[in-house]
Amino acid sequence: MAARILAVDDSPTILEMIKAILLQGGYDVITAADGQEALETARAEMPDLILLDVMLPKLDGYRVCRLLKFDQKYKGIPIIMLTAKTEEQAMATGIRTGANQYLTKPIEPDRLLSAVAEELAKAQG
Amino acid sequence: MADENSISKDLTLEEFGRFRDFIHHHSGIYLEDTKTDSLRISLITRATRHQFRTLDEYFHLLSSDEDEFKELLNLVTINETSFFRFPAQFDALRDTIIPEIAERKAGGNRQMRVWSAGCSTGEEPYTIAMTLADSGIPGLGWQPQVLGTDVSTKALKVARTAVYPEKALLNLPPEVVARHFEQVPEGHRVAASDRRIVEFGYHNLIKEPYPLALMGNWDVIFCRNVTIYFRLESTKRVVQNFFNCLNEGGYLFIGHSETLTSITDSFEAREIGGVFLYRKPTRTRLFHFPRIEGRPFRSREHGKSAERTHPVRAESPKREPALGTARGPAPAEEGNDIAAMLAQARKHSAAGEPRKALEDVHRVIETDPNNADAYILAAYAHADIGDYDAALSECSRALAINPLLPGARYILGIIHQRQGDQVRAISEFKKTIYIDAEFALAHFNLGNIFKAQGKNDVACREYENALRALKSSAGGQWQEFLGGFDAAVLAVTCERSLLECRKATKAR
Repeated sequence: MAARILAVDDSPTILEMIKAILLQGGYDVITAADGQEALETARAEMPDLILLDVMLPKLDGYRVCRLLKFDQKYKGIPIIMLTAKTEEQAMATGIRTGANQYLTKPIEPDRLLSAVAEELAKAQG
Repeated sequence: MADENSISKDLTLEEFGRFRDFIHHHSGIYLEDTKTDSLRISLITRATRHQFRTLDEYFHLLSSDEDEFKELLNLVTINETSFFRFPAQFDALRDTIIPEIAERKAGGNRQMRVWSAGCSTGEEPYTIAMTLADSGIPGLGWQPQVLGTDVSTKALKVARTAVYPEKALLNLPPEVVARHFEQVPEGHRVAASDRRIVEFGYHNLIKEPYPLALMGNWDVIFCRNVTIYFRLESTKRVVQNFFNCLNEGGYLFIGHSETLTSITDSFEAREIGGVFLYRKPTRTRLFHFPRIEGRPFRSREHGKSAERTHPVRAESPKREPALGTARGPAPAEEGNDIAAMLAQARKHSAAGEPRKALEDVHRVIETDPNNADAYILAAYAHADIGDYDAALSECSRALAINPLLPGARYILGIIHQRQGDQVRAISEFKKTIYIDAEFALAHFNLGNIFKAQGKNDVACREYENALRALKSSAGGQWQEFLGGFDAAVLAVTCERSLLECRKATKAR
């Protein structure tokens, strides 16, 4: 069964593009448009991996990540955060929130897919 | 608790040098002297976690444990003390909490008391003082008081001088610097009007009982990083003490990434603009918090403070100039600068860095308040951040200058789309295309909306249009709105969606 990935971004335009890349890679994709919805979807669907944008309405990506990573039930789900290039401080915050990996923008499809494959392999191994 | 007391909360020069050299040698990161406090806090935090009695013991662990080294590095880079650190917390304080407390206490004494626990070198209590001043309550006869406490006497000494190097103010908007600081030979000093309401004192949060002066009558307590300083048991006691010290209806602010879940359920958690706050309930529990509409106390905006007694940077650039300011086109010599600044803004926008794009754009608007491109970029940046109200108002500014701007129409479309108003989104995307038929992203989003509505025929047409536009207008303005993705990804996405829609049409 194909791994199921939750992609979270508040821009439908970007979400559609991420979805296309992931479908191309052979994954199942579910989506959420804000932090609150991301948490609800993660709880309801237990995805195999989460792709999380940092800047989100309601709850930002860091908070979502931290809430999940501090919860026994969800902390095993690998989280890849999508962030802008020079947000070094943001990266430091991200590390403490427990994200498994960062991808800096611009997002190239190959890089995205190999990061996803890598984290899925780690989680299963 | 005894072991937590036993480790010295101060860092000697020798110790600082030893850890600095070690970190430098193993990570390449060189900590300047200004980082002493950040390192001190991080070391104490980690050493306390491991229940060490001296930093020497911790040094031994550090030199043999790579994971521990990483933990420390993370902390060092995070434990930055700076003014308005995590500004959303101070926005919440200024715009919601202070007005709420003021309303609740309106009939009683007009004191507003805030305690900054673990205040280090003073940036936080001074920021609170500035926020109290900016909230407008002093103008209504309120007497704000801020107390900063810490266990480091050295840090407190720095705090009392209120003098900070230029670097500490780098991230502050010029109008904040102008309003709240005065220039002195050593750097910048917090303005007298803010200093006047701040006091400092030594206090160890885990030493009980708390002195009488601290018990009771606090409206707000800030203790950011409380849950990472202490072990769970101590954290619980510290938080309980805060609870006891707060007035009913008072608030506890903790760190941006912390939570009190599993520590206490005495407080009511509340979320304001992405910030979590903890409120001490009033005896009659409220089912709904009273919503304070508008910003009743924030009457004085940027730099108009009557209390400003220090004419620092009198020519400080003004942001957000009123639209419609009568002025002609920018003079020729400014033209190149503006083009360069706009290019910079576009670059930041395309790289998914809206906050930086906004900074660039504000500089353009300062010079040329009728620059429609700047307003469009600002609108997109606000939309990207999720501030749709600001985005809408920037769009209308752009459209007031020129109603036929495809970029502005497109952004209106995406805002309506994100707010779930598909009818208006479709209308704006269609207007975008009416102005610029090759605006690939507008076709693409129309395709997405129609596809979601099951109108596969129309969706197919829009995806085809998008693909055609992608080929013929590779350098079009729509590229600014790709949010860090390459146009090739958009093409692949269109092709895939087109195939799906065609399949669905045939299956019918």
